Amino acid sequence: MLDISLQLIVNGISLGCAYALITLGFVLVINAIGAVNFAQGDFVMAGGFLTVILAEYVIADNFNAIRASGLIILPLVLIGMAFFGLLFSMIAYKPLKNRPPVTVFISTIAMGLIIQHSINAGFGPEPQIGPALISSGTITIGTLTISKQQISIILSASFLILCVGFLMNKTQLGRKLRAASQDSEMAETIGINGPQCISITFSVAIALAGAAGLLLSNQFFVTTSDGGLYMLKAYIAVTLGGWGRLDGAVIAALAIGLFEVIMATLVSYVVAEALLFAALLLVLLFRPSGLFAEAIQRRT
Amino acid sequence: MIKLPKLLPIFAMIVLFPISAEAKETYIPILVPITGFLSLEGTAQRNGAIQALDEASSSLKIKYEVSDTSTSPEIAVTALQRALSRGKPMAIAAPIFGTQMLAMLPIAKRAGVPLITVSGTAKLTELDNPFIFRFFPGDAVVKVAHARYVTEVLRAKRPALLYQTTAYGQSGYSHLSKALRKAGAPLVFEEALAPSVKDMLPALTKLRASKPDVILLHLHSTPTALVIRQARNSGIELPIVAGSAMHQPSTAKLLKNHQLRGVCAETAASPISENHPKLIQFTTEYKKRFQTLPDAFALAQYDGMNMVISALKSGAKTAMDIRNWLATNTFNGLAMKYKSDGKGNMGHDATIVCYDGTTKTPKITKKYLNIDGTFN
Amino acid sequence: MSSLYSRDFIVTLIIVLIPLCLALNADSYGQRIMTLSGIYAIAAMGYHLIFGRLGALSLAQGCFFGLGAYSAGLIGVHFELSFLTCLLFAVIFTALVALIIALPVLRLESHYFALATLGIAQVALLIAINWTEVTGGANGTYGIPQLDLFGMELSSSNHVLIFVWFILVIIVSLTFWIMRTPFNYQVTLLKDTPEVAASSGIDIGRWRLTFFIMSAIFGATAGALQAYTIGVVSPATLEFQVMVSILAMTVIGGKNHPAGAVIGAILLTHLPEWFRFLETHYLIAYGVALLCTIIITPSGIFGLFEKFIIKNPAYDLKILPSKENKSVSDASSTLLEIQGLSKTYGGIKALKNLNMTLQSYQIVGLVGPNGSGKSTLINIISGLQRQDEGTIKLDGSFIENTPSYKRSNRGIARTYQTSLRSSGLDVYQAILACSTNQHNLKHRDNQTHAILTNSRLTSKTGSMVGDLSAADARELDLCMALATEPKILLLDEPAAGLSSAEQQFLSTKIRQLAQSGISILIVDHSMDFLLPVVDRLICLDQGSVVAEGTPAEVLADPKALKLYFGNSRV
Repeated sequence: MLDISLQLIVNGISLGCAYALITLGFVLVINAIGAVNFAQGDFVMAGGFLTVILAEYVIADNFNAIRASGLIILPLVLIGMAFFGLLFSMIAYKPLKNRPPVTVFISTIAMGLIIQHSINAGFGPEPQIGPALISSGTITIGTLTISKQQISIILSASFLILCVGFLMNKTQLGRKLRAASQDSEMAETIGINGPQCISITFSVAIALAGAAGLLLSNQFFVTTSDGGLYMLKAYIAVTLGGWGRLDGAVIAALAIGLFEVIMATLVSYVVAEALLFAALLLVLLFRPSGLFAEAIQRRT
Repeated sequence: MIKLPKLLPIFAMIVLFPISAEAKETYIPILVPITGFLSLEGTAQRNGAIQALDEASSSLKIKYEVSDTSTSPEIAVTALQRALSRGKPMAIAAPIFGTQMLAMLPIAKRAGVPLITVSGTAKLTELDNPFIFRFFPGDAVVKVAHARYVTEVLRAKRPALLYQTTAYGQSGYSHLSKALRKAGAPLVFEEALAPSVKDMLPALTKLRASKPDVILLHLHSTPTALVIRQARNSGIELPIVAGSAMHQPSTAKLLKNHQLRGVCAETAASPISENHPKLIQFTTEYKKRFQTLPDAFALAQYDGMNMVISALKSGAKTAMDIRNWLATNTFNGLAMKYKSDGKGNMGHDATIVCYDGTTKTPKITKKYLNIDGTFN
Repeated sequence: MSSLYSRDFIVTLIIVLIPLCLALNADSYGQRIMTLSGIYAIAAMGYHLIFGRLGALSLAQGCFFGLGAYSAGLIGVHFELSFLTCLLFAVIFTALVALIIALPVLRLESHYFALATLGIAQVALLIAINWTEVTGGANGTYGIPQLDLFGMELSSSNHVLIFVWFILVIIVSLTFWIMRTPFNYQVTLLKDTPEVAASSGIDIGRWRLTFFIMSAIFGATAGALQAYTIGVVSPATLEFQVMVSILAMTVIGGKNHPAGAVIGAILLTHLPEWFRFLETHYLIAYGVALLCTIIITPSGIFGLFEKFIIKNPAYDLKILPSKENKSVSDASSTLLEIQGLSKTYGGIKALKNLNMTLQSYQIVGLVGPNGSGKSTLINIISGLQRQDEGTIKLDGSFIENTPSYKRSNRGIARTYQTSLRSSGLDVYQAILACSTNQHNLKHRDNQTHAILTNSRLTSKTGSMVGDLSAADARELDLCMALATEPKILLLDEPAAGLSSAEQQFLSTKIRQLAQSGISILIVDHSMDFLLPVVDRLICLDQGSVVAEGTPAEVLADPKALKLYFGNSRV
């Protein structure tokens, strides 16, 4: 029984790690522009498809066996998605930067539709499978069987999360980004290029979504209608983690991943989903600003 | 003060004027879900219908038009109204999504246009609506075959079932559990999964604890593949008999050959498994045209449209003529022989296909013909 | 004013009726799209109230739509009742659900409110899918009867269209009735500056609840109509997609105006139809069109229309015969009595066991260095913050636990250190919005005229509040405070940023107000302004009173002198 429990926990953590990457990108955008990026989930899906494209392009193999390791493709996906992030901020945010956040909310909804249906039109409705990060085999320790894919998801997601943490807290660029998101006018007066910071934040956020898409594309496949689900999980994680808090968001995302797996095992998936929302409502009821204190003042 | 004249053209733009089809052409709209969670099945329908109509275009003047019904009955009804306003449809290729069909049926009845669908929802043909023609065996047929294969061939006594919380899953679940109970092998475990569920280990853990001797699935494409892979990766080597989603080539594509060993699927047909020359020709043509492999939905819709074309060729002039022809004639399609049971159920055969673990093309293992006794 | 208001109403009705008239000649498909537009316009009308007017990002509108569809549909299938009866049931059921949700959820702020409402919507969807015995599960329920009216079946698409749009007209009229003057201005004030609204006697909670319930009622009406027009109810009506559509309609049409909801609904229902011929690509085109619209029209499409409507004219101020003041009693009496007031912020004591009284006919100055607790004191008296300990007695009854708006109703008014400005109102409307103690529109109008006549703003009555200079904004703050007919007026740095002439005007005005019996408390740093005006001076330091008395007495107090002027002046 113990090995099954352990295996479930590993599953929960690897799911939570992927959620954490998505949520992290989601929070970065919230902090930078005060608006919810509703296309975040669709960018995860787009990252998955980009992975599939690269995997089939990098190795000219037919769809029977994809052997290029995801780890090689990961930097390419990060760069590609960062570029899309830049494009995204130019189309969906720049023209609206002086408008209320809810306007940006709607423009990201429109962008989400465009992304989802462009891919659907270009790729067709078939679910796709991305390459494994290193290999798709399993490791057996005693009676415990863990897939290598899950271990590598956990490791690479943790690495990316630490990178973001390092970028935001320890580098000059990170300090600039944070200053610009806390008070863009003030930041301008001390020589920080606010709009540029926002563009960079978008790039980082979308790159993270793309990375999550890559990590999930092997284990959970990728379908064009996946976006909404990831978006919802990120939204919940951000709220539970304290609006705008990076650390809170990561912890909450991990907790949601674990919660889902454990509850689904103990009771059922339907109950797990209902309980997640019930837990969310209870938290909001008793701690109206999330489990951790809110990092930024509300702007909407 | 309002300057009304400035506003008027904008309002005028909003109300569209219908574009009516040329009178001589036969107008056959294709209303299927090509976006949303049923887009895989809907696109197969679309492709099958288009292939049939294009092949007939050498001898008949047919105008067709594809319209998305997406995921809600509301959009399906709008699409139907649109089709009805754009010409006089002789027949309509209608969505696989049961709920959409339920909303469309009364309107089709009023307009007197037959709906050609592959939806499995049992209820559709229980409403005494003379305008529905279902070219895919309904759940009442395929789930009986599913249960018979499990109990008669595999001799399973303790089946466990995972099904989807969608119209497809819930309808299949009720028929399958009934059929299994009748066969003396009631379900020892059952759980409903939302299509968004990604991690299947919790379900498999509970399933394993109930000590089943066979795993039954009635899930859409992606979840079917997720369950099979997770099961094989966690060392569950029980036979798996899945629903029709497993026979779709795009599902098998997601899995490795060895993971497919011991996996079977219920379906109406499996075009890629057949070696009948006509079917091979269909499959080659389809692959060339749509860059993907055909499944049973594509084939069934293809057969359905071909039966409509036969009706036209044998002199049907109106939508009512076609309805009557479909209701009374027997048609030899590529997948099976079709004949209405009086309620619009055209297909009465089911097939079980199995994967042997060396290839992604399943082998036809068993055919259950004339399950509901229509041909007697 | 009322003429402006009725003009607005007529404009909206025209916007409703023109497309309807055009659609009457369309074929059944065109009529079906317009019927759908009408249905979504009703739902968007509700959403425009809670989100557009009140600024609360509710994500439950799609849920209300679905609940209405399910409750009306299920009743229609199982019982032989007329549509209007089913509609009534659906509306009552949904409103009750909204009421139950509202209790815990309405007090949440912004994103938390959004997510809580979204969570509830997801739970409703889960129930609809999995409670198969009642809802029919994922397949939904089939066989909902056709729309009927007084026993007649509405079978032609023309009749259905007219029926739906007739209900839309009723909903539009109802919306305008709810938002009649001065409530429209009060709600705008509430949305832009909730603190000012509360201290002007406007009950935020009541408005939020009203609008949340109204949005539920409108949503349920739309849902019920939708279920009856397609004959099927399925979980698709509860999907988040519906919510997103309604939100997009409201914003694109113009979220600040009912007409925006109608325009948005018509446009977004037609948009995908225009691109139908693109097959799989039509939703890409829809997304692009949506993106372009939101980029091109900042305040929605109705915002563009509003440019065609001539700007509001300046108001002609009626010169009213100034009524003699109420019987002037010369005896000054204690109005407000504060005892033992304490307040701590995270370990720092802002107020320590503070005692104070305010008398009618008296002007009191409150001085002290930054952080001495002056603003905290004003915030606590006006109810914006709560004390940790202590009592506040107004006219003999304790009010320390009374909410802000009720204190305002009972005669406490205040201004703010930094003017909090509502951008959606002009000067006249802002003052009218605050006349919460008058219950008759005519009296409110007269009072507003009177206040404006005695102000520096006589020539700026039609200016938008956001366009005022800082000095004029201070004057407006005072006018708004006066509109609540206060007995006690708390002024937080009223002279900051004023020219000396403006300060002079203010001093005179304050003195006149005191002579009419109002008790006034002024916080200000400018002694030059303060000393000549006040009757009594209170000097605060670190949350306690260090000196109190006439200006002369306080100035003679070495403690106060040292504290306030430092050593340099001594």
